[in-house]
Amino acid sequence: MNRRKKILAMILLQTVIALLLSSCWNRRELNELAIAVGAGVDWVDNQYRLSVQVAIPGQVTSKRGASTQAPATLYTAEGDTIFEAARRMTQISPRKIYFSHLRIFLMDEAMAREGVAKVLDLLARDHEFRPDFYLAITKGTTAEEALKIMTPMETIPANKLFNSLQISDKSWSSSMVVTLDELINGITSTGKHPVLTGLMVTGDKKIGEDKKNVEDIYTPSQLQYSGLAVFKFDKLIGWLNEKDSRGYRLIRGDVKSSVGYVSCRNKGKVVLETLRTDTKLKGRLVDSRPELDIKVSLEGNIGSVECSGLDLTEPSTIRQLEVDMEEKVTKILEDVIDKVQTEHKVDIFGFGEAFHRSHPKTWKRIEQEWDDRYFTSLVTHVSVDYKIRGTGTTNDSFLNDLKE
Amino acid sequence: MVCMRNRRSTNHSSQNNTNDTPQAEAKNSDALKGSLKESLDHIQASLGHSTDIVIREISIGAEKECQIAILYTDGLADPKMISDNIMMVIADVTGSPIGENPEQSRSFDSHALWEQIAAFNQEIQTIHDYPELFHSLLSGDTILLMDGLDQGMAAGTRGWKDRGVTETSAENVVRGPREAFSESLRTNTALIRRKIKDPNLWMETKQIGRITQTDVAIMYINGIVNDKIVEEVRARLQRIDVDSILESGYIEEFIQDKTLTPFPTVYNTERPDVVAAELLEGKIAIIVDGTPFVLIVPALFVSFLHAAEDYYQRADISSFLRILRYLSISISLLGPSLYIAVTTFHQEMLPTQLLFGLAGQREQIPFPAFVEAVFMEVTFEILREAGVRLPKNIGSAISIVGTLVIGQAAVEAGIISPAMVIVVSITAISSFVVPSFNMSIAFRMLRFPLMALAASFGLYGIFVGIIALMLHLCSLRSFGVPYLSPFAPLIPEGQKDTILRLPHWLLTKRPRLVNQNDMTRKISSPPRKSRE
Repeated sequence: MNRRKKILAMILLQTVIALLLSSCWNRRELNELAIAVGAGVDWVDNQYRLSVQVAIPGQVTSKRGASTQAPATLYTAEGDTIFEAARRMTQISPRKIYFSHLRIFLMDEAMAREGVAKVLDLLARDHEFRPDFYLAITKGTTAEEALKIMTPMETIPANKLFNSLQISDKSWSSSMVVTLDELINGITSTGKHPVLTGLMVTGDKKIGEDKKNVEDIYTPSQLQYSGLAVFKFDKLIGWLNEKDSRGYRLIRGDVKSSVGYVSCRNKGKVVLETLRTDTKLKGRLVDSRPELDIKVSLEGNIGSVECSGLDLTEPSTIRQLEVDMEEKVTKILEDVIDKVQTEHKVDIFGFGEAFHRSHPKTWKRIEQEWDDRYFTSLVTHVSVDYKIRGTGTTNDSFLNDLKE
Repeated sequence: MVCMRNRRSTNHSSQNNTNDTPQAEAKNSDALKGSLKESLDHIQASLGHSTDIVIREISIGAEKECQIAILYTDGLADPKMISDNIMMVIADVTGSPIGENPEQSRSFDSHALWEQIAAFNQEIQTIHDYPELFHSLLSGDTILLMDGLDQGMAAGTRGWKDRGVTETSAENVVRGPREAFSESLRTNTALIRRKIKDPNLWMETKQIGRITQTDVAIMYINGIVNDKIVEEVRARLQRIDVDSILESGYIEEFIQDKTLTPFPTVYNTERPDVVAAELLEGKIAIIVDGTPFVLIVPALFVSFLHAAEDYYQRADISSFLRILRYLSISISLLGPSLYIAVTTFHQEMLPTQLLFGLAGQREQIPFPAFVEAVFMEVTFEILREAGVRLPKNIGSAISIVGTLVIGQAAVEAGIISPAMVIVVSITAISSFVVPSFNMSIAFRMLRFPLMALAASFGLYGIFVGIIALMLHLCSLRSFGVPYLSPFAPLIPEGQKDTILRLPHWLLTKRPRLVNQNDMTRKISSPPRKSRE
């Protein structure tokens, strides 16, 4: 009894000592961290060039007016692998770079054409990356250059990139939020190819890198999202412009809100604000060839009326607007499908996935040949249903009373 | 000697006082002897001729043949009661006690005198020996001794200046009775009686403390209380053998189940309404003379988080306040340690903007977060303690020094980050939400080991600490009742009055485990809506 107690006490003691000896292995004070907010990978001379934008918290939170130091700094290192480049960065960084709060990850076009999968594995594997950052492809510029641009309002450029992508994803719908897991799903899926938002630097990059860029009301150089990059598996093969991007997102069914217009009978336009959208993709077999029904239903309000002679109290007028809008949206959708089928020849819409869902058995047979044989010649039936729910805070436009 | 004659004629006693047998004397050397002079000499010698002991010797009887002595402690005995209930009676029976008019003095019957005095006083006790005499005398009673009689009489004339029933100072309420216990045992028991007018409210009194001879009363409601626990309380009180009991805290330390715990297992309160409520739940009150704090056993963990007012406000308000209290006790226990763990181990858990804010504040801070937190917590505890002990009019000086020096200067000097000041302040305020002082201190003490765990192992350490704390709490018992009940063991019926307080008409059962007897509080139905 006593002996057993003694043994138990010894075990307990050793456990406690073991706990204490291990020390605080993972302990990092906040002021020992270099918090990376943005990162970019460029493909330069068959090497990776990693650029990391690190926030300087003291500058971000300082209240004592404008200080001379920038709110963030950029470290760049090259290497045969990204991991090496990241570690090489410690040669210039005073603190260990901490990636958990990464907001945006950029890759340049060269990298994207080379293939992004190799880059993504590190991001998915390393425990320090929290997979809630957004990814984008720089268009006409390198990731390094994009990360150098100073931005007003949001003092940390990576934060600006994160926030404006989020906002435009919600309310304009031409650019698109893609997180790491979504991208990896897109790359690996056979029924859908991924797209990524493109990022451009407008204006003079040289001024953009300078503090002058944020000193005046007019910002000479801006970071601007534009269009969508089309991928075949993990390789970039082309771009969608703004109009096509919006059509694409409507087919994907993840538009939250957007704006469109229809022309009036007499000169002018009526602008409709889309509030809710819902898309249903349904595959069917016609003569053992796959076909696809695309049903898009939208709801919206009248945003503004820029023509006269429109009686909005009349249900028939509203109906006419709806029909006009339906025709217009149908056109947009058909255009983008046609363009992708002929130009890019990859199924970025997820038509394959939709067909897989409705005809799993047939899908197994045609899966391998989907991109090359079936998708390009796929017959789609687009039907759009637009419902106007409200007319805003007035009925008829005062333009009706305007005497010219 | 003359008194003796009168006495003999009354057949009051067959005992011969003048000729005590040597055997009897040997048996009880403390017993009172017949000789008044001897007795008084002995008393004075024993009390060291203390100046507050008043001894008045009076000769009464027709020929002033009878000597009697009146003894009392000045200040403890009520002079008005002595003059009204004792002196006047003596004057009545014997004609004139002072004997200025010898003609009026008449022979008297000592038995009649005794009886008369007994009739005029509320409390009368016959005294046979010196220990009894001293206890009565020093408790404020008036002692009557008569020459030739081997027993005395103690008349209850206790009446000293006390504070009276004043407002509560430690447990304030917005709604509810304002009276608090005072230092006098009798007043305190009366305050409880006034709330529960039931013949089953029983009280037992005993003296504890070899020197202080402090009166300790236990009160319970017979029929509701668990007799085994009463038996246990009696036994534990019996076991106390100590020189002095100056406050109920002495008793608490002697009777608690486990000494090696920061958690109080005996409840104390200064509110009569709380005591009444607890008695009605089948608990036992221990009232100690000389302190307004009454002990209640068995004490459960949940009781310490309940305030008297919970039962006076409406159920929804009380439930909200209770949830708030449980929340704040968690903050007061975990606040700084969570902050330390998250900022030194788990930065990825913070929202990005918050991380920038915190990191920016910490930029120039030379110490690790743990050192910073300990520094601030200790400073706060010092300030708090200083505030409690200081005279009220200097108290404001402390708060100025506290806010200015600690709050602002330390931040501006770059020793402490502003976020830490916020965390410590919230923690401090939360710890004051707990109604019971000793429980909130317990949580405040446990904060420090948890902070150390957080600083060395992060959230993992905190959870190890919480698990250890839970195990410890589960192992505690108060007079045999599991401390965490009705949570562990889980009693569904008991949940009606723990974190929530359901309306009174739903609280039909008394807490199980505490009392086994009469479980049903009442058979009642919810208030009916009127038919009209």
